Amino acid sequence: MKGFSTLILLLALIAFLSLLLGEVRLSLADLWQGLTTGEGPGALTLRVLRGPRVATAMAAGAAFGLSGAVFQMLLRNPLAAPDVMGFNAGAGLAVILALAFGLMLPMALIAALGGLLAALLVGLISWQPGRSEPALVMILVGLGIGFTASGLATFFLLTLTDAEASEARRWIIGSLAARSWNHAAQITVIAGVLGLLLAVQLRALACLELGPVLAQGLGLSVEAAKRKLLATAVLLAAGAVAVAGPVPFVALMAGPLGIGLTGARQPAARLLAAAGAGALILTGADLLSRSLWQGVQLPVGVMTGLLGAPWLMWLLTRAFGKVES
Amino acid sequence: MAVKLGLILLLFLLAVALTLGVGVQGLSWQAVRGAMGGYDPNDPLQVVLAEIRLPRLAAGLIAGGALGVAGSVMQALTRNPLADPGLLGVDAGAAFAVVLGALYLGQSDAGILAALAFPGAALAAMAVFLLGGGLSGEPGPIRLTLAGLAMSALLLSLVNGLILLRGDALEVFRFWIAGTLALGLQKPLLALAGVSLVGWWLALWIAPLLETLALGRGLARGLGTSPLKVQGAALLAITLLTGSAVAIAGPIAFLGLIVPPLARRLAGRNLRHELLAAPFIGASVLLFADALGRMILAPAEVRVGVMTAILGGPVFVWIARSLRLGEVR
Repeated sequence: MKGFSTLILLLALIAFLSLLLGEVRLSLADLWQGLTTGEGPGALTLRVLRGPRVATAMAAGAAFGLSGAVFQMLLRNPLAAPDVMGFNAGAGLAVILALAFGLMLPMALIAALGGLLAALLVGLISWQPGRSEPALVMILVGLGIGFTASGLATFFLLTLTDAEASEARRWIIGSLAARSWNHAAQITVIAGVLGLLLAVQLRALACLELGPVLAQGLGLSVEAAKRKLLATAVLLAAGAVAVAGPVPFVALMAGPLGIGLTGARQPAARLLAAAGAGALILTGADLLSRSLWQGVQLPVGVMTGLLGAPWLMWLLTRAFGKVES
Repeated sequence: MAVKLGLILLLFLLAVALTLGVGVQGLSWQAVRGAMGGYDPNDPLQVVLAEIRLPRLAAGLIAGGALGVAGSVMQALTRNPLADPGLLGVDAGAAFAVVLGALYLGQSDAGILAALAFPGAALAAMAVFLLGGGLSGEPGPIRLTLAGLAMSALLLSLVNGLILLRGDALEVFRFWIAGTLALGLQKPLLALAGVSLVGWWLALWIAPLLETLALGRGLARGLGTSPLKVQGAALLAITLLTGSAVAIAGPIAFLGLIVPPLARRLAGRNLRHELLAAPFIGASVLLFADALGRMILAPAEVRVGVMTAILGGPVFVWIARSLRLGEVR
C-alpha cells in the first residue's frame, strides 16, 4: 500500500496545481479565502472556472485508465487499449458525419456512439473461432478500423464549411475547455456504476489473465465472460469520450504507469492503480496544455499525443525487448 | 504469364487515359491527338492538357511507381505484409521536415524544399525500423505497425502544435495532411524522377540479397550476405523512393500496402519480378484513385491521399485478418 500513497499524493498535488495555475495565477491566500468564505477570485475559480474542469478531468481520466487496464489484462498485451484500437477514430468520424449531415444530437452522445460502433465492428470482424492468437488479430483489426475511420473522417471534413470544420476539429482532438459541474457529475456517476460492474467481474478477470485454457479449467465460461468485460471497458471509454472528447493515449498509458507507481500485483489493485494513473495523466496533461504557453490554450489531446507517442515508442523497445531476448 | 503481363499493361494504359480524360473539363481523343500534332496555345483544350493533365499524369506516375516499389522493399525487408511507408511514419517524417523548412527556415524554393524530404524520410525510416525491432531480426507486425503509429502521432502532434503557434501555417498544413497530384507543375519533376529511378535500380539490385536475408540472419551470413549492409541498402532505397514521392505529392498512405500483394499475384513470388511489376501497378492504382477523387464530388476534388486512406484501411483489416501469425509472430 506504500505505492498507493505516492499515487494519491501526486494526484492531490496535480489537482492543487491545476486550481492555482493557468491563464490567471491564483495565490494560496486567494484559494483559501474562496474556500472558507465563498467570495473573491478564489471562489469563482473553484466554483465555475477550474473546479469543474479538474473534477471532470479526474473522473474521465480514471474511466479511460480503467478501460485501458481491462483491455490490457484481457488481451494480455501492453499495447492494447481502446484509443489505439479504433475507438477514438470511430468517435471522431461520428462527430464529422453528424456535422456533415446536420444531425441534431449532443456531440458528446454522438462521439460515444461512434466509438461504440467502431468497437462493435472490431469485435465482429476479428471474431474467428478457433484461430491462434486472437488477441493479436483483434489489436491489428482495431488499428485497421481506426485507419479506415480516420480516412473517411478526412474525406467528410473536406465537405464541411470552415466554421463546422473547426468545431469538428475541437471535438476530434479532445478538449476539456468550459466543462461544468454537470459534466463532472455525469462522468463520475457513469464511472462509478461501471466500476462497480467491474468489481463484480473481478474473479473472471483474474481467471482470464491466466489464459483461456486455465480459465476454463477454473470453471469459467470464457467467451461470455470476455464479452461482458470488454463491453464494460468499452462503455467506460465511451463515457469518458462523452465529456472529454477522444483524448488519445490516456487509456494506453494508464495501466503500466499505475503499476510502475504503485507496484500493484493483484488485479483489483492494478485496476485501482490504473484509474488513479489515468486521472493523473489527463489532469496533468490538461494543466500543461493550458499553462505551458502564456496566452495559448492547446487542446488537451495535443498534449497527450505529445506525451503518449514517445511513451508508446519506449514501451515498444522495452516490452518486446524482454519477450524476444 | 503473358495474360498477366497483358493485364498489367491494360490497367496501366486505362489509368493513363482516365487521368488525361477525366476532369472538370472533359477532353476528347481528338484534342489529345491534335495536341500531339502540334501544340496550339490558343486552343483551351490543349492548354488544359499541357498545363494541368500532363503534369498531373507525370506526378502520378513517379509518386505511384516509387511508392509501389518502396512498399515491396519494405515488406521484403521486414517480412511483414502490413508494412507501408505511410503507415510506418516515413512519409510523415518527410512531410515534417518540409513543413519545418518552409515555416522556420523561411525556404520557398521548391527544389530545396523537395530536397528536405529526403533526410526527413531517412530519419523516420531508421527510427521506426529500430523501434520496431529491426535489429533483433524479427520485427513482429504489431510492434512495427505501432512503432509507425507512434512516430506518425508524434510528428502530427508536433505539426499541430507548430500550426497553433503560427497562424500562417494552415495553408502549408493542408497540403501536408493528405497528398495531392495537382501541384506537379511546381515540382522539380525530372530530378525527382531520376532519384526514384536510382532507388528502383538499387531495389532491383539487392532483391536477391533480401530474399536470402528472409531465410534468417544466421543462414544469410553463412551464404556470404552481410545482413547489416543489405538492410542499410534497403533503407536507402526506401528513403530515395518515399522521399521523391512525398516531395511530389505529399503524404500518400496505404499505396505501399495495396501494391505488393497485387504485384505478387500478377508477377509471381520472385522478388525481382515483383519489383519490376510494382511501379506499373503502383502508378495505375494511384491514378485510378486520383481519377475517382476527381469524379466523386465533382466539380470539387478529393485529394488522392484521402482516397488511398479510405481504400487502404479495409485492405489493412483484410490482410490483418488473414495473417498467419504463427509464421510472422
